[in-house]
Amino acid sequence: MRRFLKIFKVAFHSIYKNRTRSLLTMLGIIIGVGAVIMTISAGEGATMAVENQISGLGTNLLMIQTKSEHKAGINVRMGKPIDHKDLEVLQKNSVWMPRLSPLLAIGAQAIGPSGYKSTMVYGVAYDYFYITSRELQSGNFFTEEDVRTAKKYCVIGETIREKLFPGQDPIGKQIRIDKIPFTVIGLLTEEGTGGMQDMDDIVLAPHTTIQNRLYGHQRGYTMIMASALSEDHISDAKIEATGLLRESHKIKAEDEDDFEIMTQVELQEITSNITGILTILLGAVASISLIVGGIGIMNIMLVSVTERTREIGTRLAIGARESDILTQFLIEAIVLSLVGGLLGVVFGIIGNQIIYKVTDFFIPTAFYSIAIGFGFAALVGVTFGYFPAKKAAKLNPIDALRYE
Amino acid sequence: MSTKKVIETKTLGRTFKNGEIEVRALTDIDLIIEEGEFVALMGASGSGKSTLLHIIGCLDRPTKGEYYLDGVDVNELNKNQLADIRNQKIGFIFQSYNLLSRTTALENVELPLIYDRTGRFTDSTALAKKALEQVGLADRIYHRTNELSGGQQQRVAIARALVNNPALILADEPTGNLDSVTSIDIADLFVQLNNEGKTILMITHEPDIAQFAKRMVYLRDGRILTDTIIEDRSTKESALKALEKPVTT
Repeated sequence: MRRFLKIFKVAFHSIYKNRTRSLLTMLGIIIGVGAVIMTISAGEGATMAVENQISGLGTNLLMIQTKSEHKAGINVRMGKPIDHKDLEVLQKNSVWMPRLSPLLAIGAQAIGPSGYKSTMVYGVAYDYFYITSRELQSGNFFTEEDVRTAKKYCVIGETIREKLFPGQDPIGKQIRIDKIPFTVIGLLTEEGTGGMQDMDDIVLAPHTTIQNRLYGHQRGYTMIMASALSEDHISDAKIEATGLLRESHKIKAEDEDDFEIMTQVELQEITSNITGILTILLGAVASISLIVGGIGIMNIMLVSVTERTREIGTRLAIGARESDILTQFLIEAIVLSLVGGLLGVVFGIIGNQIIYKVTDFFIPTAFYSIAIGFGFAALVGVTFGYFPAKKAAKLNPIDALRYE
Repeated sequence: MSTKKVIETKTLGRTFKNGEIEVRALTDIDLIIEEGEFVALMGASGSGKSTLLHIIGCLDRPTKGEYYLDGVDVNELNKNQLADIRNQKIGFIFQSYNLLSRTTALENVELPLIYDRTGRFTDSTALAKKALEQVGLADRIYHRTNELSGGQQQRVAIARALVNNPALILADEPTGNLDSVTSIDIADLFVQLNNEGKTILMITHEPDIAQFAKRMVYLRDGRILTDTIIEDRSTKESALKALEKPVTT
């Protein structure tokens, strides 16, 4: 052990003696580890943003849609459209879904007194506000009564207010959606941009109004949104809804569902799978720079072995075993890559901070990215250090001593 | 008087194969060096003296014959054991010193102790300091080798060869890179070390340096040509005096 410490000291000493060269050698590893940490963290940041947005969609959410299939890149509805009969069946019989709301989504132009914006208009029921847990900064939601009587009321998001009512209070004012006048009765609290979609670029109106005035020619809903009694009952709710809808759609036992039920949990899993794959991909690209850095270390170590042939000869002559020389050069390579890795970690963390300062996109430095970057750097050191070290250890002492 | 044999070779031979051609570097070397001897090994280049030194120094193996170093049959040893025996029983001194650059004298002298596996040295720094004192460099312990003169560097190398208390010191043209006066200083240092009981085998080209030894072995074409006791050994004073004489032709 003491001998190992001494050999370690020897290796460290020779790195220190050639510090400029050592630093340049480490540069490849520094950049590689930094890149790994930054890309993995960026992936984590994106995942977090998307997950925040999905959890912002609502609580214990279930989305019931007509089954659709991708055909040649186009979403084609396969089954019977989800409509008000389905909603009634669920409302009458459901135990696990106390809150249900239809959702009719249409793209439309919203025109206000001081501006206009093309946006998404959602026709919803009163329960929608519960299901999505959205809140108001001023005004009121429309009531169940308003929905039943198809009032031309709407609730708008902050992005719409900025465009249509810059610097004004929109409550009580009129906007026109595809020529139909609506009275603004509420302004939603800002949700912020999650990454994919602006959650405040939205107009909400009673689904009855939307169906009568804007959507009339289409029978079905875009989807039915429901919230399960609690987080533990999401799968119960899904099973229940599936049963009820199969029954009302008269689907035979051997046939498949003609609708799809997506829970929030599943949505989260899908998106985190996608972002996970993206993160791995980015990390893999960054790892290539680490491998290039490793080749840099091997290159310099080979030069170093040639340059120090006489030193190796001397060490062998005074009684170093081949394994001692191997250990020394291997330690040198590992120390180079570990110190490089350490500097790379610092570089990566600082890089994340700079990106946050410049773009406002928060990147949490994932701890596991540090572990991966650092571990990979060590692996690179051992792998690419072994060949030069073996070469050094296998030198013939007589030839090495004569080497000019 | 004890007659412990430090080196004993019996019909030692070394043949190099270069493709189809066989070169006999050494033939039938029977050499015995006893404890306390100071032997100068001489011969023209190509006479086989370096090959002999490498075999004696356990860096190379004979292709024929036997070799016992300090009673150990070297032919029986594997690579690691050879490394260990170099570490324990031999101190090497080279023509071009072979010190680590940008490293202090002390660290250079400590180097052989790093590779010690017997655990017989407890305080390597103290031993290295003692060895440097022995060669007269007590005041240069913390100097880096590139800050030292050639003679001082060779003294550091000699201290490095002494530090593990070897049975045998092997010097390969130790004065080859030094001027005459410094060469005499180094030769005189060998005499002192020999007087303290060290066994020394020294290759040299220079007859006036060989004259410091007790015995001279002369090689020619891989065989021992002469093996003589030196009657009129040089001393530092006589050698310096000889330097002052004008060169007569």
